[in-house]
Amino acid sequence: MGNEPANELRVSLLVGLPLAAALVAVPTFVSDVFWLGLGITVLMWAALATAWNISGGLAGGLSLGHAAYFGVGAYTATLLFLRFGISPYFGLLAGAVLAGALGAAIGAITLRLRGPFFVLATLAFGIVVHIAAVNWRDLTRGAAGLLLPFGGGARNMLFAGVAPYWYLGLGLLALTLGVTLAIRRSPLGYYLVALREDEDAARALGVKVVRCKVAASAISAALTACAGAFYATYIQYIDPSSTTQFEISVQIALIAIVGGIGTTFGPALGALVVVPLGEILRASLGGGPALMLYGLMLIVIVLAAPNGVIGLLQRLLSMMRSGARRRATTRRSRGHA
Amino acid sequence: MLEVQGVTVDFDGLRAVDAASFRVDEGCIVGLIGPNGAGKTTLFNTVTGMIRPSAGTVRFAGRDLARLDPADRSRLGIARTFQIVKPFGGLSVRDNVLVGALTRGQAVAEARRTAEATLERLTMTHLADALAASLPLALRKRLEVARALATGPRLLLLDEIMGGLNPTEVNETLTLIRALNAEGLTFLIIEHNMHAIMQIAETVLVLNQGRLIAEGEPAAITRDPQVIAVYLGEPLEPA
Amino acid sequence: MQLALQILVNGLLLGGLYALLAVGLTLIFGVLRVVNFAHAEFMMLGMFGVYWVWHLTGLDPYLAVLVVTPLVLLFGIVCDRLIIQRTIGAPEVTVVFATLGLSIFLQNAALTLWTADIRSVTTAYSGMVLTPFGLRVSVPMLISFTVAMLAAAGLWLVLTRTLYGKAIQAVAQNREAAALMGIDVRRIYLWTFSVAVAAAGAMGGLIAPLFTVYPRVGISYIVTVFVIVVLGGLGSVPGAVLAALLIGLIEAAAGFLFGAAWAELSYFLIFLAVLIARPQGFFGRRGAEVFAGR
Ligand SMILES: Nc1ncnc2c1ncn2[C@@H]1O[C@H](COP(=O)(O)OP(=O)(O)O)[C@@H](O)[C@H]1O
Ligand SMILES: [Mg+2]
Repeated sequence: MGNEPANELRVSLLVGLPLAAALVAVPTFVSDVFWLGLGITVLMWAALATAWNISGGLAGGLSLGHAAYFGVGAYTATLLFLRFGISPYFGLLAGAVLAGALGAAIGAITLRLRGPFFVLATLAFGIVVHIAAVNWRDLTRGAAGLLLPFGGGARNMLFAGVAPYWYLGLGLLALTLGVTLAIRRSPLGYYLVALREDEDAARALGVKVVRCKVAASAISAALTACAGAFYATYIQYIDPSSTTQFEISVQIALIAIVGGIGTTFGPALGALVVVPLGEILRASLGGGPALMLYGLMLIVIVLAAPNGVIGLLQRLLSMMRSGARRRATTRRSRGHA
Repeated sequence: MLEVQGVTVDFDGLRAVDAASFRVDEGCIVGLIGPNGAGKTTLFNTVTGMIRPSAGTVRFAGRDLARLDPADRSRLGIARTFQIVKPFGGLSVRDNVLVGALTRGQAVAEARRTAEATLERLTMTHLADALAASLPLALRKRLEVARALATGPRLLLLDEIMGGLNPTEVNETLTLIRALNAEGLTFLIIEHNMHAIMQIAETVLVLNQGRLIAEGEPAAITRDPQVIAVYLGEPLEPA
Repeated sequence: MQLALQILVNGLLLGGLYALLAVGLTLIFGVLRVVNFAHAEFMMLGMFGVYWVWHLTGLDPYLAVLVVTPLVLLFGIVCDRLIIQRTIGAPEVTVVFATLGLSIFLQNAALTLWTADIRSVTTAYSGMVLTPFGLRVSVPMLISFTVAMLAAAGLWLVLTRTLYGKAIQAVAQNREAAALMGIDVRRIYLWTFSVAVAAAGAMGGLIAPLFTVYPRVGISYIVTVFVIVVLGGLGSVPGAVLAALLIGLIEAAAGFLFGAAWAELSYFLIFLAVLIARPQGFFGRRGAEVFAGR
C-alpha cells in the first residue's frame, strides 16, 4: 500500500490542481440534471469512502457500522433545522461533533477487538442506531422519514437547483482528502499505520494505542456525518432506509475496498468506478442483477486484487515503466553494436 | 537504573518467571542467558509492560513502572527488540525507524533526519527505501535495533539479535554496542552466542526454568557448576 | 404462571431452530477462522428449495428437506472451492468481505430468480396445535425443533466421537501442527464448510413450513446468529447451542414484555456489551478474539 505521503503530496498537486479546476468548471458545461446528479452522488460516496478509509484503511479497523455516523449527521442537521430553524451549515457542524464523540466512544470500547470481532462490534453498533432511528418515532418519525422544505434558501443549504450541490460535494470531498493527506503527513498517520502493521511493536516504540485509535475513529466519524448532513440537504428527505441501514455501511466499505484501502486517493477512485457502474447496471438490468454483480465484484476484488483499483493501476504503471526501461536499454545496446 | 524485585509470571498453570530479582546499573552491559523456555523473553515483556507480572515490582530510574503501559515505558527511555521480529512490513525501512523517532516528540522532518542518521549508523542507508517485509531475517533483526535506537533510549533490551549472524557481523554488532555504551547507553542483552556475550557483558545473569540461578562476572559464570549443568554443558574456554 | 411457561416454551422452540444455524457458523469460524456472512443465505436457499419442491411436486416439506439438504451441501462444496479456500491466509479484508460479497450475490440472485414475493408452505398440519398442560405448542414447530436438535446433536457426536471429528478439532486448535501431523487441512476445511452450510440449508428447510419465504429472509437471522455465536464463544459448539436457547428465550420474553423492537435492541446491546467485556464469549477459549494479532 502506498506509503510515501511526501511523494503523494507532489502527485496530488501536479494532478490535483488542474483536475480540481476542471471539476469546478463542470456545472458550466454539464447542465443535464441526470449527469450532474450522478456526479454529485459520486462525490458524496467518494467523500464517504475517503472518510471510512481513515479508520478502516489507515488504522485497519474494518468498520461495518459507518451508516450510523452518516445517519447521525443527516438527522442532526435535519432535526435542528426543522425543530429550531438552525441553518444546516451549523447543523452539519453539530452533527460532526456528535458523531465525532460517538466515534471516539466506539473507538475506545472496540480498542482491544481484532479481526472479525471488531467487524461484528461495529456492525452491532450500526444496527443499534438503525433500530433507534426506526423506532424513536417522536424524534425521527420512524420509517415515514423527515422532509426538508423545498426552497429553504441558500442560507439554509437548501438550494433549488442542483449545481450548488456539486460545489458543496466538491468541497466535502476536498475536505476529506485534505484531512487524509494531513493525517498521513503527521505523526498520527505514521502511528496509525504502525499500529495496523504490528500493534505490539508500535507500543514498544512508544505509540499510544488508545489516543491514536480514538482519534482516527472520531475523525472518520465526524467526516462521515458531514456527508450525512450534505445528503439530507441535497435529497431534502431522509428516512432510516436511506441513511442508517446496514446496506449503507456495506456500500461505504465496498467502495473503499474496490478503490484500494490504506491509500489516499483509492477510496475516491472507488466511487468513480462503483457508483456509475451501479447506476448503469441498475438502469439496464434492474436492481437485483445489479446487486448480484456488486456482490460478485466484491468477491473478485478482495480475492484477486486486495489492493483495489489503485493497486492494479500501480502495478500497470510499474509494468509500463519497466517495459519502457527495457526498450530503452535494448535500443542503446543495439546502438553500440 | 533498572531494578527487578521478586517478579513472577504465570501463564495458566505454567510459572514462566519465578521470583526473579536483579538490577542493571546505569552505564552497564548486562547479559541474560539460559536455555530455551527459561523465561528470558517473558522477563523482557514484564520490563517493557507487554505482560503484567502476577507478583513483584519493576522500577526504572527510581520509578515504579506498575501503572505504566509499554508506550509510557518507551517514552521513559526503555527500548527493546523482539526475538520474533516484528517489522512494519508494509512500510519502508526508513518509515519503520521514523516511527521510533516520532515518539520522542520530534516533528516529521526532524524525525526523518534522526531516522537517516540511525540507519547510517547501522550501515542500512542503502536499504532506506526498501519495504521492511522484503528484508531477509538478519536485516530485519538489524532493523529492530535501528527502530529501538531511534526512540533515543537510556536502556536498551536486546533479544537474541546475533543468532544467525556470521563472525564478521557479530564483531560489527559488538563494536556498535560498545560504542553506544561509551556514549552512555545501558544494555540488557539476551544472547545464545556465548563467546559474544562473554566478551561484552560486565555481569551475566543465568535464568533456568524461571529462576535466576547465578549472577556474576562472565569468567565466574563459565565456571559455575550449576550453570554448566543446566546450560553450558561443558566449561567454556575464555574467548 | 401459565403465561411464563408459554413464553418459556416458545422461546426454547425458537432457540432450538437458531441452534442449528449457529452451530454451523461457529464451526466455520472455529476451524477456518472465517466469519461466514453468507451463512443465512444458505438457510434462505434451503427455504426456497423446500418451497419449490413442495410447490412443484406436492412432496411433504419435511421429506423435501431430505432432498434439498444434499443439494445445499453440493453448493457449499462449490462455494468452498471457488471462494473460501482462496481466503485462507489472505489479508483480513479478504477474509471479511469475500463472504459478505457472497451474501449480497446470493440474496440478489434469489431476488432475480424468484422475485421479492413473499411465499409460504402450507400443509394439512400447519395450524395443528398440541395443548399439554394447557400450553399451546404448534405441531410443525415441535417437529422442526426436534429435528433441528437431533441434527445439532448428530454434528456434535461426529465432532467429538469420530476420528474425523478429532482431526477437525486438531485443525481448529493449530492449523500448522495439524498439517505436520499429516492431516489434510484443505479437506478438513472443505468438509467443515460444506457440512456447516448444509446444516444451515436443513435449518432453512425445517422452518419453511413455519415462516414466510423471501429472498432477504437471511438478514433477520444472520445478525441474531452472530449474537448467538459470540455469546456462546466463537468456535464453541455447545456454547452456540446454549446461547441459541438463551437468545430464543430473551427474544420471546422481551418481545412479549416490551415489543419486538425493544427485544431486538436489547439483545444487540447485550451483544455489544459481551463483545467488549468478554469477547471470548461464555464458552470460548481465551485469546481467540486476538488471534489475528499473533
Ligand atoms: N504468552 C504466553 N502464553 C503462554 N505461555 C507463554 C507465553 N509466552 C511464553 N510462554 C511460555 O513461558 C515459558 C518461557 O518462555 P520465554 O520467555 O519465551 O523463554 P525464553 O525467551 O527464555 O526462551 C515457555 O515455556 C513459553 O512456552
Ligand atoms: Mg526468548
